[in-house]
Amino acid sequence: MWSISAKAVIITQFNIPQLPCNLTGPRCEPVPCIARRETGDHRNVNGTESTQEACNVYTVNLESRYLLIQGVPALGVMKELVEQFALYGAIEEYNALDEYPAEQFTEVYLIKFQKLQSARVAKRKLDERSFFGSLLHVCYAPEFETVQETREKLQDRRKYIAKATSNRVHFLVKKIQEPKKTVSKNSEHDFQPETLGFSAADANTGNWDPSACCPYQPSCEFSSRNTACPSGGHFERVLAFPQYVSNCGETSESFCQSKPLTQSAQQGGYTNTPVSLVLQRKVPSDNGIGRFMPRTTQLQERKRKRDQDNQIDFIGIDSDSTEVIIGPRLPEIPKVDMDDDSLNASASLIRNKLTEVAVSVPKSFGEKPEDTQTKRPIKQRRRI
Amino acid sequence: METVVTMSQKQRDLLELGRLEYLQALVTEFQVTESPEAKEQVLANLANFAYDPKNYEYLRQLQVLDLFLDMLTEDNEILVEFAIGGLCNLCLDKTNKDYILEADGVAPVINCLSSSNEETVMSAVTTLMYLTTPQSRQQTTALPVVECMLRFSLSANRRLSNLARVFLEDYCSPVQVEEARNLSKHTAVGIPLPKD
Repeated sequence: MWSISAKAVIITQFNIPQLPCNLTGPRCEPVPCIARRETGDHRNVNGTESTQEACNVYTVNLESRYLLIQGVPALGVMKELVEQFALYGAIEEYNALDEYPAEQFTEVYLIKFQKLQSARVAKRKLDERSFFGSLLHVCYAPEFETVQETREKLQDRRKYIAKATSNRVHFLVKKIQEPKKTVSKNSEHDFQPETLGFSAADANTGNWDPSACCPYQPSCEFSSRNTACPSGGHFERVLAFPQYVSNCGETSESFCQSKPLTQSAQQGGYTNTPVSLVLQRKVPSDNGIGRFMPRTTQLQERKRKRDQDNQIDFIGIDSDSTEVIIGPRLPEIPKVDMDDDSLNASASLIRNKLTEVAVSVPKSFGEKPEDTQTKRPIKQRRRI
Repeated sequence: METVVTMSQKQRDLLELGRLEYLQALVTEFQVTESPEAKEQVLANLANFAYDPKNYEYLRQLQVLDLFLDMLTEDNEILVEFAIGGLCNLCLDKTNKDYILEADGVAPVINCLSSSNEETVMSAVTTLMYLTTPQSRQQTTALPVVECMLRFSLSANRRLSNLARVFLEDYCSPVQVEEARNLSKHTAVGIPLPKD
């Protein structure tokens, strides 16, 4: 019964050119999937040297109780194969897919688990495992599902979230309060020259880290009242204000222009600031709103600005490519008169230096091939 | 002088510091990096983190929901695919759902139905299902959407047709389906079917 229906399924499948990777030729080169679903196993995240490899996103659609197993050596080992998989959960059905494209001397199998969770675990454990001298390639096969099975899968996901969310409500209330406490603590502190000097020194020694960008992101609400610096020791403070910035044109002007410039004028600490830090600091002041704008407004705003071909924008558009940079573009540095000659002189010295540095940045990026954005070869993404 | 923040080094350093910090590092990396590949990778990471309810509060704090919504209008198809995947993963949670609906997120999701990327389309179909509430139903099951689903239900792509059928059968009334059916007989307007 199963084999008949399986054949029927196969025939249907081969009318559909839906195979994510080209299996009519050599088997897909397995690309280590960096972006595995988070399971607390951080080891998998970006576990490779190169950041250039293609990734996949696991969604409820991609997962399935059906697993497709390729690379099984054609040695009559179906029984052993099924036994291996059965270790991870009850198997409802299994079958060899005789007409599925396969490398020479290998076979393809379909295994249907009773539970999605078993399929998940089995896939994780057995994918890329050696089996009788051959590497197995295990992936989900949702295309074999019936409508009802798809429906149930979506329902199960719903139930899982409902359950998980209700369990976490009490636990999370506590967690939320902790970072917020840190926020209020910080808001009481004034800008500290020493801290700035420390972070500048850090930056100078090349010891800074991405979190150093944080306090300068204008969407961080504390930025208007607290300019705590991202030194290594103050890590937790900084990290309490993460926030995705999609509109960086909102830094309160006073923060950006008066205080840091004053302080840095006194310290001379920013002359050697790494460019990336500068990227975050130098924010165009097209409006004085120091808070994150509602998303709809941003979209309209962005559209308007795109239409007007606005130079100074919170989206930087590289003239050589269509890449959109989120975050402050390197704009003109706002000039401020600080009512003091020496301060102004120092400020303009620093400004000039920053301009020099800013100019040198695009050159270093210019080496990137200009057609990477528009004509990147579509990477063969390994089917997961 | 370091001008490009690489992922591996920095993230390895930050791994010990905890989930929120790690996620924040990802968000920061996304903003800072110039490389499209790195952006895609980070977005994929975030989208995968969005699968686990443990992370939802952090993701909200980090405004990753807005990040996903904003990415839906990007030119880069891969970013769109990962972003809609991320939304699909986290939109079932009530707070996330409300946030997305409040932010007028249904419209960009509907637009994803016309993508030529099949994963994008499928994530969009599922996301619409999950975002359907008594209040949002009018939008998520608007006539053009139902008409689109009708066409998808006839697709040779089994996964897509399954999803479309679940949508039509479970989220639309027979009246709505009938109306769309009648409409499609007469006109060709609506959301174009992606190439199979």
